[in-house]
Amino acid sequence: MVSTVAQKRLFHEYKNLSTNPPEGITAGPVSEDDMFYWEALIQGPEETPFEGGVFAAELKFPRDYPLSPPTMKFIGGGIWHPNVYPNGTVCISILHPPGDDPNHYEHASERWSPIQSVEKILISVMSMLAEPNDESPANVEAAKMWRERRQEYEAKVRDEVKKGLGL
Amino acid sequence: MDAPSDISDPTQWLETPLSLLAPLESALRCQVCKEFFDNPVITSCCHTFCSLCIRRCLSADGKCPACRAQDQELKLRRNWAVQELVDAFQTARPRVLEFSMETARQAQAENREEPVHKKRKVAPAEEHIQVPEPSSEGRRTRSQRHHPQPEEHPAIENPQIIEDSQDEEEYIPEDGLVACPICNRKMKEEAVFSHLNIHQGDESPKKPQSTSSSFGPLRAPQKSLVFSGKPPERIPAINYSILKENALRKKLSDLGIPNWGPKQLLHKRHTEWMNLWNANCDSKIPKSKRELLQELDIWERTQGGLATGPSPFVSSTNVMRKDFDAKEWSSSHDDDFRRLIANARKKVGAKMAPATETAPTPSEPPANGSLVEPNIDADADHVIDLSG
Repeated sequence: MVSTVAQKRLFHEYKNLSTNPPEGITAGPVSEDDMFYWEALIQGPEETPFEGGVFAAELKFPRDYPLSPPTMKFIGGGIWHPNVYPNGTVCISILHPPGDDPNHYEHASERWSPIQSVEKILISVMSMLAEPNDESPANVEAAKMWRERRQEYEAKVRDEVKKGLGL
Repeated sequence: MDAPSDISDPTQWLETPLSLLAPLESALRCQVCKEFFDNPVITSCCHTFCSLCIRRCLSADGKCPACRAQDQELKLRRNWAVQELVDAFQTARPRVLEFSMETARQAQAENREEPVHKKRKVAPAEEHIQVPEPSSEGRRTRSQRHHPQPEEHPAIENPQIIEDSQDEEEYIPEDGLVACPICNRKMKEEAVFSHLNIHQGDESPKKPQSTSSSFGPLRAPQKSLVFSGKPPERIPAINYSILKENALRKKLSDLGIPNWGPKQLLHKRHTEWMNLWNANCDSKIPKSKRELLQELDIWERTQGGLATGPSPFVSSTNVMRKDFDAKEWSSSHDDDFRRLIANARKKVGAKMAPATETAPTPSEPPANGSLVEPNIDADADHVIDLSG
């Protein structure tokens, strides 16, 4: 099953993530038949409205990984956040290939490169939860609320977290 | 998920008393593929990667993956010191790992009355480890296949060895015979000089820098004019945008690689082949063309025209499959082709009209079309190109 460059590379990343997981992050392939489809669990960072929540996301890797980045999408309800599309797709610079910058605001140094990793993506997503980037929001409504009515935003996020936990 | 037994990973050290070797091993691995460096090369910005990995990165994006400095594949230089480090480490690795795991097991057995085996699978008996048989651990990965102790058995693994220019020692086959530098026929050393007279007639003005016959004709179609002992010639990069589809298709067939599919796929396949080939030129023990073709085939099935799953070519795979029925396709799209050809001709006609009185005017496309009809098949591609 593990034969191409992409598969081997993903295997090494998985091995490393499962022996040395960063705090609050778990990730791995859903089935050993398909190294290109992963699921990840991310804990809401402390001292943010996301605290206490556990967020599931799927990662889909292209066949030419690590030349191109994976895509990441929160599953099960999505997340109310300026940088997460209403369908759950995450929009942060590390997931954007270095060649194209549709938003014209990202530095190349923040974007994907073959030496980035799943671990770095997930850590970036965790810090994105804590500190949204409202320069080019994926969810305009959430961005507006975050900018103008912070309390309402935080209350809504906490609400979503509770719902997500089935409370 | 279980570790496939043929993949070694730095995390294997972490469960042993030698956990400090994990970062050492990580440092000996390429940051792109995470395997041990395979033909390491150094970039202008002094980062080291496998030759193939960095070539793929540079052809995708032209930048060093580590620092994003612009770089070109022509500037890559081999990093022999790293190659030697990797070779030596890989040779020592199975024994050191086994020794370390054994120590851990003994310590565990002493601590408990009942020796409990760890989850990790281990070799059944230590006697087997006396001989450091390199294939006992992780010998299957790409980076590991070829190097350790190349001098010991190169002729067995790959009789058609192509020496690199930087390889000072001469390759002496084990049968004691020497290959003719021109036709590559094996003979006794004394016989070479008299044999060379045979070739005096067919010396070409520019000696092809080609290789052993196993590489076949690269760009020089003269099969007999191959040299052993010279490095294989690198494949130059192409500016795909100035090359017409048919010219590119011909280039691919000249290189001896599949030439089916649309232009974008031809472009990708050529790039991949160029990277495979040129990375192989960096190898101390180059692979044969056949092996490279197998690697290209793997690429074809995973990322090229035969790929399934999320790939840019999947949406239209039915056009590119090997079993693609060209006749069916051309008959079912006959109308489209005719329309394109007619359009193209209209444009050509429009351009020609002012220059030559005899050219039909654009207002008479049907007549125009019928005039050139007999040439359609031969020139179809050419005409279509004009339309775009």
